[in-house]
Amino acid sequence: MKIEDSFHVAAPVDRVWRFITDPAQVGPCLPGCQGVEITEPNKYRATIRVAVGPIKTTFNVLVELTEQDPPNRVASVTRGEEGGKASTLTAQSELRLTPSADGGTDVHYASEVSLVGRLGKFGLGIMKKKAKSLGEEFAAAFRTRVEGATPGAVPEAAGT
Amino acid sequence: MKFFEPTTVDEAVRYLAADPDHRCLAGGATLVAMMNAQLVEPAGLVSLAKVDGLKGIVRGGDGGLAIGAMTLHQTVADSPLFEGGHALVRDAARLIGHPAIRNMGTMGGSISHADSAADYPAALVAADATIEIAGPKGRRSVGAGDFFVDYLQTALEPGELVTAIRLPPAPKGTASAYQKFARVEGDFATVSAAVVLAMDGGKCKTIRIAVGACAPTPVRVAKAEAELVGGALDDRALAAACKTLAEACDPVDDFRGSGEYRRMLVPVLVRRAVAAARKRLEAPR
Repeated sequence: MKIEDSFHVAAPVDRVWRFITDPAQVGPCLPGCQGVEITEPNKYRATIRVAVGPIKTTFNVLVELTEQDPPNRVASVTRGEEGGKASTLTAQSELRLTPSADGGTDVHYASEVSLVGRLGKFGLGIMKKKAKSLGEEFAAAFRTRVEGATPGAVPEAAGT
Repeated sequence: MKFFEPTTVDEAVRYLAADPDHRCLAGGATLVAMMNAQLVEPAGLVSLAKVDGLKGIVRGGDGGLAIGAMTLHQTVADSPLFEGGHALVRDAARLIGHPAIRNMGTMGGSISHADSAADYPAALVAADATIEIAGPKGRRSVGAGDFFVDYLQTALEPGELVTAIRLPPAPKGTASAYQKFARVEGDFATVSAAVVLAMDGGKCKTIRIAVGACAPTPVRVAKAEAELVGGALDDRALAAACKTLAEACDPVDDFRGSGEYRRMLVPVLVRRAVAAARKRLEAPR
């Protein structure tokens, strides 16, 4: 299942890059994310809870940033499993930041997600719509965080 | 997993409200299949099979219909009570699954599950139905248009269950129809359309159109309907309404068809439903 979308942030690329590669900033923007833990440099562990009506799931995921080209592109691999339920998730994702004419940043993301197990039996069409709406929720939360935060609150803000 | 067999609605509500992971078991046509697929794992099932007063179809003094939540699809499909502006609900029931499913599944169960490709949602929205609900805070009712909220999501709060579906009186001279396109007989809809209309001397007096299976919930567009009222429902007017409706849809891409394909089917199904309803007006049965 391919998930692809983009959103605009009214902040320069450098600033968006710092936020989007910092799990402590990204975690709270992810809908259903129950906290992020840094296990090794460029490796994170997170718990994500998602529900579609009565179908509820909690995935424990490991995210590894495999390639970084600051402040333009980051690629990652996500592996997850549903506690004891024999569903597994793998995703290859790519995120690109491009400066826009208004001085802001266009964030483009693409992810190839595969689901095996009980959730694989659930309608892929609805899952894609759900992923899209979660993506929109993330974009809104992320935008508020980046655009709203005072420069002093940004980690390593000195370079701005 | 616990299993409860209440005999009254109040008792059912108590069991249901005791744990957010308790679920109602109506006919089981969908819930049991989802449990077998391990998609839902309720902590307890509250069977409604022995609850009094949830079955059957009653016509009120005003000409409206009340359908008990536990009424089987087959009972609706066979009932002579669905005439004129109510006929589309029977059309929908006749197109649900196969006889085995129609003899298990219930109207309350189907709408509470709220599958966006199911047959009742669009029919009930076009029929302007009201959903009667019982819960820990008492009884309430919600219009069908507000009852369906999102994919598999209704306006039901924790501990609440559907007790009945009410269809408002349909004035004489009102006709209705539900049309569905499915890849094979008995499948969920790829696209469906439900229409209730009344004509007066060749002009459209009232019309309600709902498109099913093309968005999280049935699609109804007030502007499209308003533009048809007062006209003769000719080809040009219908084309404009169908375009507005298709644009309001947000269909999924899946094995039943791409979103683009579904959007192309919207005008086809809406026109079929309008034509079927008009035919019934001319030759009432």
